[in-house]
Amino acid sequence: MTAPLPSSPRTGPGRRAVLLGAGVAAGAAGASAVWALTGPSAAAPVPAAPGIPPDDDLMREHGVLKRVLLCYREMTRRIQAGDPVAAPDLHDAALIIHDYIEGFHEGLEEGYVFPRLRREPAVAGTVTTLLVQHARGRVLTQFILANGTARDLASPGTGGRLAAAMQAFVRMYEPHEAREDTVIFPAFRQAVPAAELADLGQHFADLERQQFGRDEFGAMVARVTSIEQHLGIYDLSQFTPQVGPFLPGT
Amino acid sequence: MGRGRRTGVAVMLLLAVTSGCASPAATGQRAAGGTSGVTVTVTTRSLPEVGTVLVTGKGYALYMFVPDRRRAVTCTGVCAGTWPPLMLPSGATLAAGPGVKAALLGSDPAPGGGRVVTYNGWPLYTYTGDVEPGQVTGQAIDLNGGPWYVLRPSGAPLEPGP
Repeated sequence: MTAPLPSSPRTGPGRRAVLLGAGVAAGAAGASAVWALTGPSAAAPVPAAPGIPPDDDLMREHGVLKRVLLCYREMTRRIQAGDPVAAPDLHDAALIIHDYIEGFHEGLEEGYVFPRLRREPAVAGTVTTLLVQHARGRVLTQFILANGTARDLASPGTGGRLAAAMQAFVRMYEPHEAREDTVIFPAFRQAVPAAELADLGQHFADLERQQFGRDEFGAMVARVTSIEQHLGIYDLSQFTPQVGPFLPGT
Repeated sequence: MGRGRRTGVAVMLLLAVTSGCASPAATGQRAAGGTSGVTVTVTTRSLPEVGTVLVTGKGYALYMFVPDRRRAVTCTGVCAGTWPPLMLPSGATLAAGPGVKAALLGSDPAPGGGRVVTYNGWPLYTYTGDVEPGQVTGQAIDLNGGPWYVLRPSGAPLEPGP
């Protein structure tokens, strides 16, 4: 059965829409997608600062993720010890994950990185696992955001489930991001010609500005720093061990 | 960014979106490089926990995005990386499988070019988290600016009850 193809009349895409719609266009119509980004109606966006390589960009975003994982770990410890956790800190940590990691960083991976590797036998299985883990992480984040109120945190039942959700999230994402940094991104760098990599780095930077209106990385670092300070885990020197018992000859 | 650089990114995007992840679910049933004779099928399938919903011809669940408001494709750029729209290549035929109301099928322009298949006015998307046909892991997920739901053959989103 073949249906007619009604088309809704729409105005032509603006410059911003064309750039934002690049992924859609590419999947849509091949040559017209290329034209959309190269034709005269698609003028260059506002010049951005020189982009860093896309894999470097993704890895520094992993740094933000890693710091939120450290916050989750400390919050889990506190809940399990019966110590207080400030609901606004938990909420903000989960929002960083939701908005920046799941709503931006993972979209870059899923739209630009993983598709290039799905047919590489050495990493295809890993890519599938990473996609499944992204989806599971979003379920956990949604649970944390919906249940991370002060009342929930004070409730032994919900508090325990929150701790379990954070624990599961940390357990999954530590190896997840480590595998991406050491296997997936190097494979991506190998699969993509250098000139395309440079273009993509710039494109990632443009997308970040379009989505957030600025270089969001710095803002995210400031937010996670504030949470770490509230939790008392910001001072890096506190993690430096005493090594006396391990010195040679002891 | 000069013309050459934009071309590079566009070509990369083309390769990315058509070569993997959910792209088999989100494009027609013939590879890019000539869309004459390509058929994009929307059909139905009964899936665990959600019942009968719309799926692609390959069995991948199809979702609607609340912020689209049955008016336009608003999930673009990074969002479309996670939620690849069901594209209707130029010259392709749109087909209604069993259970699908052909009168509710249509298409909307994608902001960057091309067209996205719609049902009851809702632009349709697949989800990268559904790595196999028959999965529905994106149901009721709030991501990229709003919630996502699968669609009943009636065209109604499967929104959770109060």
